[in-house]
Amino acid sequence: MSLGNAKIIRFESGWEEEIKVKALGRLQDHLNNGAEKGQDKLFNNNDYVLTYTVCYNMCTQRTPYNWSENLYAKHGETIEEYLKDHVLGALKEKTDAFLLKELQHRWKNHMIMNKWLQKFFMYLDRYYVKHHSLPTLAIAGLRKFKTLIYDEVKKDVANAMLVIIDEERDGKVVDRDLLRQVVELFESMGMGSLDSYTADLEEPLLVTTREYYARKREEWIAKDSTPDYLIKAEKALEDEKERVLNYLNSHSECKVLRVCEEELLEKCQKTLLDKEGSGCKALLANDKTEDLERMFALFNRLDNGLSPMAKIVEEYIAFVGHSFIDEREARLKAEEKKEKPDDPDFIKKLLGCHAKYTDVIKAHFTNHPNFQKAMKEAFTDIMNRSVGSYTNAELLSTFSDRILKAGGEKMSETEVDSSLDKLVELFSYLDDKDFFGEVFRNQLAKRLLNQKSASDDLEKAMISKLKVQVGTQFTSKMEGMLNDLSTALEHEKAFKEFRENDSEKSRKVLDTAVQVLTTGNWPTYQCPEISLPNQMQLAVDQFMRFYNAEGTTRRVKWFYSLGTVKIKAAFPGKEGKMSTYDLEVATLQAAAIMAFEDGKSYTFTELADKLMMDPKFLKPVMHSLCCGKYKVIAKNPSTSKITDKDSFTVNKKFKSPNKKVKIPMASLDANANTKKVEEDRSITIDAALVRIMKSRKTLDHQTLIAEVLSQLHFFKPNAKQIKKRIESLLEREYLERSEDNPGHYNYLA
Amino acid sequence: MADDKMLNLISQEGDSYSVAVKIATKSELVKTMIDEDEDDADEVQEVPLPNVKSSVLTKVIDFLKHDDAEAMTEIDKPLKSSNMSEVVQNWYAEFVDVDQELLFELILAANYMDIKSLLDLTCATVASMIKGKTPEEIRKTFNIVNDFTPEEEAQVREENKWCEEA
Repeated sequence: MSLGNAKIIRFESGWEEEIKVKALGRLQDHLNNGAEKGQDKLFNNNDYVLTYTVCYNMCTQRTPYNWSENLYAKHGETIEEYLKDHVLGALKEKTDAFLLKELQHRWKNHMIMNKWLQKFFMYLDRYYVKHHSLPTLAIAGLRKFKTLIYDEVKKDVANAMLVIIDEERDGKVVDRDLLRQVVELFESMGMGSLDSYTADLEEPLLVTTREYYARKREEWIAKDSTPDYLIKAEKALEDEKERVLNYLNSHSECKVLRVCEEELLEKCQKTLLDKEGSGCKALLANDKTEDLERMFALFNRLDNGLSPMAKIVEEYIAFVGHSFIDEREARLKAEEKKEKPDDPDFIKKLLGCHAKYTDVIKAHFTNHPNFQKAMKEAFTDIMNRSVGSYTNAELLSTFSDRILKAGGEKMSETEVDSSLDKLVELFSYLDDKDFFGEVFRNQLAKRLLNQKSASDDLEKAMISKLKVQVGTQFTSKMEGMLNDLSTALEHEKAFKEFRENDSEKSRKVLDTAVQVLTTGNWPTYQCPEISLPNQMQLAVDQFMRFYNAEGTTRRVKWFYSLGTVKIKAAFPGKEGKMSTYDLEVATLQAAAIMAFEDGKSYTFTELADKLMMDPKFLKPVMHSLCCGKYKVIAKNPSTSKITDKDSFTVNKKFKSPNKKVKIPMASLDANANTKKVEEDRSITIDAALVRIMKSRKTLDHQTLIAEVLSQLHFFKPNAKQIKKRIESLLEREYLERSEDNPGHYNYLA
Repeated sequence: MADDKMLNLISQEGDSYSVAVKIATKSELVKTMIDEDEDDADEVQEVPLPNVKSSVLTKVIDFLKHDDAEAMTEIDKPLKSSNMSEVVQNWYAEFVDVDQELLFELILAANYMDIKSLLDLTCATVASMIKGKTPEEIRKTFNIVNDFTPEEEAQVREENKWCEEA
């Protein structure tokens, strides 16, 4: 093969006469003085190609004239010599910022040198380096810089940087560009990994950062209030984040911030939270929501950092709630009058407190689960502490009665609905939900039967809210009551038609409306027997004819204590004229009034005989007619107490400014039956015990109690109560004590 | 860098050829020179190529232009045929259908200018000239004098037996 360029280049002549003189010499000159000389181009294309061509030719000559190995070695030597002769000395003389500047300058030069050498010797990279698995020219150049320069000065350089960073922390303006360029050098020295940066700069940085903020912590904590401290801490964290962004490697961000968090927050968390007059409690007491939000955001950065704060919030909410209860207790003691199961101001305070802190937690603590839990624990504690003779469950139910009753609280339907929402939230904290249920059901029944309910929709809404909270079992009877009433409405229509088509004679029977209800759904009512006046009895008979014709097998029981009657009554008025009044009374009252239709007077005993009524029921009836605001019956003697010997007659002097007169009567039934709740509880516990034992067959005492507790949602019985029920079941032979296993029970099928 | 920007490639003899920057920079060597000066955009750059003769450079430029219009297909290794028109597109097969002298000069130019596709093509062409031939035929093709002694030749044959069996 005869290939072109016949002239062989000898190594010495190629290196000494061509490359060294025409390229390397100029390059070094430029590096040593070039910066001042200005921007003129270091090598033009011609210069560059000439050197490249010399190298190319020297590397493509056949052995023994192939100089690749020699040129590769010379490349390294050239860099090494330059770094040793010109760079190291210059750096050794400098300290502090001057050191950084010099290093940055020398590093820039090195990059220029490295780049040009790489270009001149490019052909080496293509074959020689590849075939011999050597470091590329660029890498080889960087390694020289690392071992000869970087390793020599890195400690001094890092220290100089750290001093400047601390100065910047103290507010001094520093040369961020310089710092960033030096950081880039640290990054490059890892040759593709961050190891050099991490070990040589980041580690010492974390140490000085820790020292710096430990000092700041001591300084600030001694003189600043908690909010002021937190503002400074927040600022410091922002500054550090900014600093990383400005000139450090982004990997350092979380490490630096972690150190700051440890020093500024973790190590003094308790001190900050508890600080007298400005700690978490004081911020809560003064509604410093902005400071609280900052506190939350900062402690949220720590692992488990929110628990102590949530604890304080819990204690504080409990404290506020209990202060309302204390107030109520003091007021009850001071008041002489009889206690009522009604304390709207107290309930409103609790509702207000609940709404307020729910909002705070939502708006400022991002509804964080820790704080939701705090809220729950605080309110469970508050709601289950009752003072006075009525429990919070009763007060709460009575409050719901107030707003659901027509003419109770003056609120729009939306307001009522949202109040009910809040109320149900308070309800959810109650341990004895069953007791609330019982009271609520009684009040609901009263509203429904007396047509006192403000709105059917609201009643339904309230029941469904309760249902969402505690399930269908809890509300099934309440829903049954509403259902009864809507079927009763249909019944009423049918009955009306029946009356119109009834025989001539019966059409004159009193106009009557009857509601047929399901006993099980409603509270238990007293059912006094009475001999009804004829007209009323006829009406009852007519309804029974209608009802039986429908073919139902249900037994009908009449509750005269719950019905109402309108009576048109005439009393002697002015100038001998008769004044008529519309009296609105209960069925029992109506029967009693009718007994005086004959104008005679009767003693109490006579009256009881005539009406065939139990005196214990007649007493409140007569009391309402003779001793109330509207005395339609006159009593002799006219005291406010009914005795067997009193005699009664129509009050001929009765007068009232209104034509319509409603005469209220004391209820024959107690408001809520605590005893019934107790009984229901026993049954529920029994049922749970049997259910569990049936599936498990044998179980030890402790597990059984735990399982029972986990099944009961409406109340929390104590272990003693459950034990009592277990004993009862043992007696009734549903269970037996295990013979082989002491402390265990067996289920008896 | 604008697509229509031009530069001048200068041959060994000093002849100047105007070529689009986009095309010329398919040569890695040219590229290292152009990367430098993105700022003085107006000046037409001169790129001296003292190792490449005008006769070769014009061929190289032809190749680069065509490669820009119809990129050469990747050459499969080992060669699937000793007929180059079965290895690459017709244009490229015809492009290397030249005398040996020019072919070798193209190889050198491709290596010098660092143009991978041209180097692949020209080397593959040389390989196609060897494929399927006996040592004697190869010597003839490339005008090589057999300077082995019979003993040496026997030893080489023995060492490379696997090659002929295959």
